[in-house]
Amino acid sequence: MEKISVIIDGKVFEAEKDTCVLEVARRNGIYIPSLCYHGEVPSSGGSCRVCLVEAHQGGRMRLVTACNYPVRQGLEVKTDTPLVQRIRRGILELLLARVPNSEVIREMAAKEGVTEARFRKDEGESERYKCIACGLCTHVCAEVVGVHAIAMVGRGADKKPATPYDKPSDVCIGCGACAYACPTGAIQLKEKDGIRRIWHKDFEMVRCSVCGVPYIPKAQVDWIVKRTGKDRSFFDRCPDHR
Amino acid sequence: MGTINSIEELDRYRQKLAAAVKPNLPTVLVCFGTGCQANGSRLVAEAFTEVIKEQGLQVNVNLGIKTTGCHGFCENGPLVVLRPQDILYLKVKPEDVPEIVEESVKGGRIVQRLVYQDKVTGEQVAHYNEIPFYKHQLRIALRHIGTIDPTSIDDYILAGGYAGLAKALTMRPEDIITEVERSGLRGRGGAGFPTGTKWRSCAAVQSDVRYVMCNGDEGDPGAFMDRSIMEGDPHAVIEGMIIGAYAVGSHQGYIYVRDEYPLAVRNLSIAIEAAREKGLLGKNILGSGFSFDIKIIRGGGAFVCGESSALMRSVEGNVGEPRAKYIRSVERGLYNKPTVLNNVETWANVPEIILKGADWYASMGTEGSKGTKVFSLVGKVNNTGLVEVPMGISIRELVENIGGGIQGGKKFKAVQTGGPSGGCIPERLADLPIDFDSLTKAGSMMGSGGIIVMDEDTCMVDVAKYFTGFLVEESCGKCTPCRDGLPRMLDLLTDITEGRGTEEHLAMLEELCDLLTWGALCGLGTSAANPVLSTIRYFRDEYEAHIKDKKCPAGVCKALITYSIDPEACTGCRLCAKNCPQTCITGERKKPHVIDVSRCIRCGVCKDVCPYDAVRVS
Amino acid sequence: MTQELSKFDRIIERYERSEESLLAILQDYQREFQYVPEEGMRRLSEVMGVPLSKLYAMATFYKALSLVPRGRHTIKVCTGTACHLKGAPQILETLERELRVKRNGTTEDGEFTLECVNCVGACAMAPVILVDEVYHGQNRPSKVMDIIKKQVGS
Repeated sequence: MEKISVIIDGKVFEAEKDTCVLEVARRNGIYIPSLCYHGEVPSSGGSCRVCLVEAHQGGRMRLVTACNYPVRQGLEVKTDTPLVQRIRRGILELLLARVPNSEVIREMAAKEGVTEARFRKDEGESERYKCIACGLCTHVCAEVVGVHAIAMVGRGADKKPATPYDKPSDVCIGCGACAYACPTGAIQLKEKDGIRRIWHKDFEMVRCSVCGVPYIPKAQVDWIVKRTGKDRSFFDRCPDHR
Repeated sequence: MGTINSIEELDRYRQKLAAAVKPNLPTVLVCFGTGCQANGSRLVAEAFTEVIKEQGLQVNVNLGIKTTGCHGFCENGPLVVLRPQDILYLKVKPEDVPEIVEESVKGGRIVQRLVYQDKVTGEQVAHYNEIPFYKHQLRIALRHIGTIDPTSIDDYILAGGYAGLAKALTMRPEDIITEVERSGLRGRGGAGFPTGTKWRSCAAVQSDVRYVMCNGDEGDPGAFMDRSIMEGDPHAVIEGMIIGAYAVGSHQGYIYVRDEYPLAVRNLSIAIEAAREKGLLGKNILGSGFSFDIKIIRGGGAFVCGESSALMRSVEGNVGEPRAKYIRSVERGLYNKPTVLNNVETWANVPEIILKGADWYASMGTEGSKGTKVFSLVGKVNNTGLVEVPMGISIRELVENIGGGIQGGKKFKAVQTGGPSGGCIPERLADLPIDFDSLTKAGSMMGSGGIIVMDEDTCMVDVAKYFTGFLVEESCGKCTPCRDGLPRMLDLLTDITEGRGTEEHLAMLEELCDLLTWGALCGLGTSAANPVLSTIRYFRDEYEAHIKDKKCPAGVCKALITYSIDPEACTGCRLCAKNCPQTCITGERKKPHVIDVSRCIRCGVCKDVCPYDAVRVS
Repeated sequence: MTQELSKFDRIIERYERSEESLLAILQDYQREFQYVPEEGMRRLSEVMGVPLSKLYAMATFYKALSLVPRGRHTIKVCTGTACHLKGAPQILETLERELRVKRNGTTEDGEFTLECVNCVGACAMAPVILVDEVYHGQNRPSKVMDIIKKQVGS
């Protein structure tokens, strides 16, 4: 890959052309807040807007999302200007008004000096009380897991991740990748007596033959076996006892 | 005749069509636009066909779509134009047809009761081109509308159609691009990006596949020029697209049409099918070796799909969500291939530019905005409808000369341009020339060309609230500033219109505007602040009246107004009392009536039914 | 295969097996059944090999599509700018009051669905309503119910 140099906050860094600004910054220890982006998920990013930074190129400045702006030769990025701070604070204030119960958002906002949202707060609807509708869960489900159990449904302020008709999905394998990826811990995953409940659906868990701990949904095992041809007996034991 | 296999054959075909037309044969044009059809123009056309057949007359009956119909005359439809005299009749009923045939078609006389009467001067004008509304127009994009039958490819070819394509096919693709660049044509969809530059960038990208697309997702409320072109002259769009495709090296095109425009979908489909049959679409067009075809995609009712990246997502069969455009669609557009996306009106201009040359086109308009622009002039103006004029005409000329001034002699207050992405321009700036750059500088934008005229009865805070509410409904919900910021803006504006506003509200509104402008993902969000910012900028006093005095000066915001009956004007006819849904109007017959304000829901029914204009709003 | 399913298949057959056809098929469902039935979505998902979640996302995103059955008659109130300035809000309020239904809802007897639509491009006739796709212009609060009754004949 072609190597280029990019300036971030006055320092010059080498990077592969077209890597996103956020990755280059992270690798070099520069903090840019981020919520909806995950390096392993191709379509993620660009929606929550907390990673907006100034991009100066060709005599032009604009605010861009660091998580999907490709670095090119001659790019200069500024991550902490008054403009960046002002817009970042505004976005965090909106998110705080949306999900006042989310610790992640409260902490991130506090870091920028925002502790209270002046706007009308959303009534804490149970299912979205921490959801910022960033869509990362749906990208993980579609692109990493490959089952497409959930998608972003509706539009505007009502947009949310959901299964079709808010019913238990026919295709969900209960893997929980969506819940692990969620930046605000908004997706409920409950386990009790060898049963996992997620997205209104119950999944029977396979127990490890050594420690007896239920560790993976049977539906997920079926999916992996079908997809990869891996031997089913591989899943008799949990990763700790293989 | 089947396929036309060469440029020479096309010429011969056109000559053959011309020979078949009897030059002085009277022609009856019946408007088949949406408005006239609603008023029964089909029955009128049938009546003409019948009477003419019965009497054995030699008359052409054409079912042309008249944008002229939308020149404020839609409500007066069905419209009929008689050629060669160019007589325009309004509100024609099937029973008027025998008289029209007898008097005008056969006798050459005018049926006075069916002609246009000027709303200001009261003057009767029978001839189409003498009506002030048409006199000032210069029609390029609308060149055929109202004169040809849009469902007949022969009509289009006879009117000179596909001659631009024929010429283009003898040119080198890069010369076509140069011609379009030199013409100064800028995108008519809103942003005004130079069309030739866009084509050149697309052609320069290495790729096996390229696409050309037509954006017919005309979403700005109050703008309907694209609808009119798609309905009234679909071949002009198709011809433009074939030329564009040849210039950039594309073999597949898409037209994305708003779902709300069923007639546009129908006429475009008929036109595409006819063009295929004639060999103007498909393989080896006019024997040139160049192949190209077009597919129509119906939109699904989402304003955001007018945004290029969302439109492309929608065509691909997805939810129409925009994407970051850090890589331009001329490089990676539809299916990640280089794509030229232009708007309907832009495409419709292309054949004329090729045929008549860049210099001809560039001789019209202003320094930075060449050619003509179609505007839809609507709202509180006497003549509403589509107007095509050279760029650079002033707002005042448009509203006062062509539009015939404000309805009911009221005071001209502002115009709104650019739809929800645009802003309001006050009357005191009405001498501003209308072009891409002046409007942007004034805090609005050209948009697709909707010009909504507002009078003294329009509340500017209500207008800002209206557009913000529109955008709340239409936000796709992907990015935080738009999804969560717009509803907060609407909250603040609602507070102000309902008398709960404070100075703090204004400050917070301005903060949110700033946040959207800088922080939103796509054009819908980054321009969403314009209606609010422009009204605060030019009509701050009106905001302050709502906030400080708890008054709506225009008498629009329901929470801040009261209805009453003027005892001087009231005759006690009881009409209001009978119609009041709250039955809160009382009074004896022939004596002044009174509204019980505590129960009044301010529905406006009493004001609407009062024949004596005795109901007051304060 | 049930009769219902073949009804869906007849619509699906009209189009090429491409994701480009999905929106058109859903719109044809809407036109034919006055809404997008769940069974039709499942059938489309199966035939095209497209995730149901994706179809559901589309059906909830595009305003032209409805997941619940609409009334026998649909009344659309144009809420374009010209209509707004010329009294569309009063027309809408009148209809909400007279039909006893909220915007984008259906009356209890299933007779009418009242919808707000974006500009229909008939601004010269503002304020405009469409009753079962027939345009009516120059509406007034006091007359609008008569126009509807006259057209639907009740």
